[in-house]
Amino acid sequence: MATHLVSVLNGLAMGSLLFAIALGLSLVFGMMDVLNLAHGAVYLVGAYVAVALVSDGAGVAAFVLAVLAAAAAGAVLGALLAALTRATTHHLDQALLTLGVALVVAEALSLAFGNDVHSIAAPEPVGGGVTVLGETYPVYRLLVIGFGVVLAVAVYVLVERSPLGSVIRATVADRAMVAALGINTGRVLVGVFAAGAALAAVGGVLAGPILGAQPGLDEKVLLLALVVVVIGGLGSVRGALLGAVLIGQVQALGTALLPEYASFLVFGAMALVLLLRPAGLLPARTGVHA
Amino acid sequence: MGVVSVFSPTRTIAGLAVGAMLLTGCGSSLDESSGSKAEGGKSGGAVKIGLLVPLSGVYAPIGEDLRAGFQLYLDQHDGKLGGREVDLKTADEGEGPQTGVPAAQKLVTQDQVSAVAGVVNSATALGLRDFFDESKKPLLIANAGADDITGARKSQYVWRTSFSNGDVSAALGPAVAEEVKGKVYLIAADYAAGKEMVAGFRKTFEAAGGKVAGEKYTPFGKTQDFQPYLSAIRKSGADAVFAFYAGAEAVNFVKQYKQFGLSGKTSLYGTGFLTEGGALAAQGTAAVGVKTSLHYSTELDSASNKKFVDAYQNAAKKPPTVYAVQGYDTAAVLDKALAEASGDSGDALVKALAKVGSIDSPRGAWKFDSDQNAEQQFYLREVKSSGGTAVNSVVGELD
Repeated sequence: MATHLVSVLNGLAMGSLLFAIALGLSLVFGMMDVLNLAHGAVYLVGAYVAVALVSDGAGVAAFVLAVLAAAAAGAVLGALLAALTRATTHHLDQALLTLGVALVVAEALSLAFGNDVHSIAAPEPVGGGVTVLGETYPVYRLLVIGFGVVLAVAVYVLVERSPLGSVIRATVADRAMVAALGINTGRVLVGVFAAGAALAAVGGVLAGPILGAQPGLDEKVLLLALVVVVIGGLGSVRGALLGAVLIGQVQALGTALLPEYASFLVFGAMALVLLLRPAGLLPARTGVHA
Repeated sequence: MGVVSVFSPTRTIAGLAVGAMLLTGCGSSLDESSGSKAEGGKSGGAVKIGLLVPLSGVYAPIGEDLRAGFQLYLDQHDGKLGGREVDLKTADEGEGPQTGVPAAQKLVTQDQVSAVAGVVNSATALGLRDFFDESKKPLLIANAGADDITGARKSQYVWRTSFSNGDVSAALGPAVAEEVKGKVYLIAADYAAGKEMVAGFRKTFEAAGGKVAGEKYTPFGKTQDFQPYLSAIRKSGADAVFAFYAGAEAVNFVKQYKQFGLSGKTSLYGTGFLTEGGALAAQGTAAVGVKTSLHYSTELDSASNKKFVDAYQNAAKKPPTVYAVQGYDTAAVLDKALAEASGDSGDALVKALAKVGSIDSPRGAWKFDSDQNAEQQFYLREVKSSGGTAVNSVVGELD
């Protein structure tokens, strides 16, 4: 039993990371109707920022610097992508455009950092382990869970309880109506795109000590983020949170209980949700009440 | 809009998720290196050799090392093999047969090379077997480890200068049975190489009286978090673990093995790929204490290895790996065979390959066995920290 509780804990850590990564993807798709396939590449940029700035045995300062640098790089990339994707409204064109950007970014990273696997050390003070339920558990992962909780609360307050949040939610529901009220929706959209990309890049730094950085990781992360978005429902913060926590648990607990089916479980869960709730578990509330 | 507009984007995104899943499967097939001057024909006794190594995709680091090793041998011998000028044609193997097989066919049919060396992926090697057998051209496998390549599906045109999976792990079995008093847990990536590595180990390990605590295969290339498996190992009460992973999975497995506190209590054994080259550099001191079997280590105490390590370090600006040695030795084999051969035909080269005899290599002397596979000494290595960097120090020789 204790073994499974540790798996649950681990699922929460992965869920926290997935939430940070998938949130931007979900909001951008919900609001702007843009499917950003370069989201995984933005994540990888964050991971390599950490490779460049955090050396083995580095302190908290270097790590915080990496988080800030990744957020800045992510925001710039996100704003660029927002500008690029405004050229077309067709989903397929956008998907191809952002996929192209993703390939270019991934290749540039592989030229700059080589094809070798890089690992990123957790900051020195939290690099060790503590005993949880009789098993050693890395302190860093506990902090990641804490980060996930803080992020979820912060995003909830921002989106659901602030004036800016009401504009964002209104833009998700009906962009034309918000524009008619005299609000510059273009600026809101770019802002959300940049913020979402910044979060993905920060996710890349935070996931560094767990997943490392290597070519191809962007595709794996993008795939998981897409699954989270499909399960949670588009454009919904609560949906992204529920989807991320669910996928985290399916990966950790599912692998512990049904190891033979480990690679199918995530997609099995997605298929199940699509069968029962095609719009996702918690889709964004639209202008017309469904 | 309402309901409908909520439904359709979900379908789009789900469809694209599936599309992305498929996309990740196919690597880049666009790379084509080397200016192909087409038209065969010999120019002033030069010999055309094809080098087929992955320059893109997950195996690119192995491909780069193989090429650097091969190139080092050429540079040390004035660009000549067997006394003849070499016109080296390089092609990108990519991640699997869908890119590797056409690239090899291009080398043979369009570039008209006399022999092809390289091949990292076993599926590619097995996929190429019939093509080389029928076109009667020698294929020198410099890495791919599937037992079948020089076993059930061997061909007189296919020669292997590297290793077969089962041999590397089988060498470790008796040593672990002797060192570990309790049971051993077996874990590997769920693909052909993982299965062969575990089978090879299990056979000699149990024959030497070892007991197995459990056996588990993790989804290949999809496992980033090993916590559930590490918990299962702990629960099994095993006293040691035998693992086969390479590349990114090796890094994550070894690091998490330490993070979750197993490294102090449960000793970790594996085949050398677990702690080789870039993987070891990324694992750093987390890998200290891991014991592996392999046919090479940079720390081998021999004059020819020291010379090789220095020369490679100078040329490539990083320490050599087992892959670099395999590339180097493949060039050495070709050197001997071309000197011996009467003409460029595949059959003449194959006859000469049978006569190359013992190869003096940085890994120690080795020769081809009757299956055209490398017959060589395996070493027991232990990762030690030397001045902050982790190295595979040589503990002893394995029988």
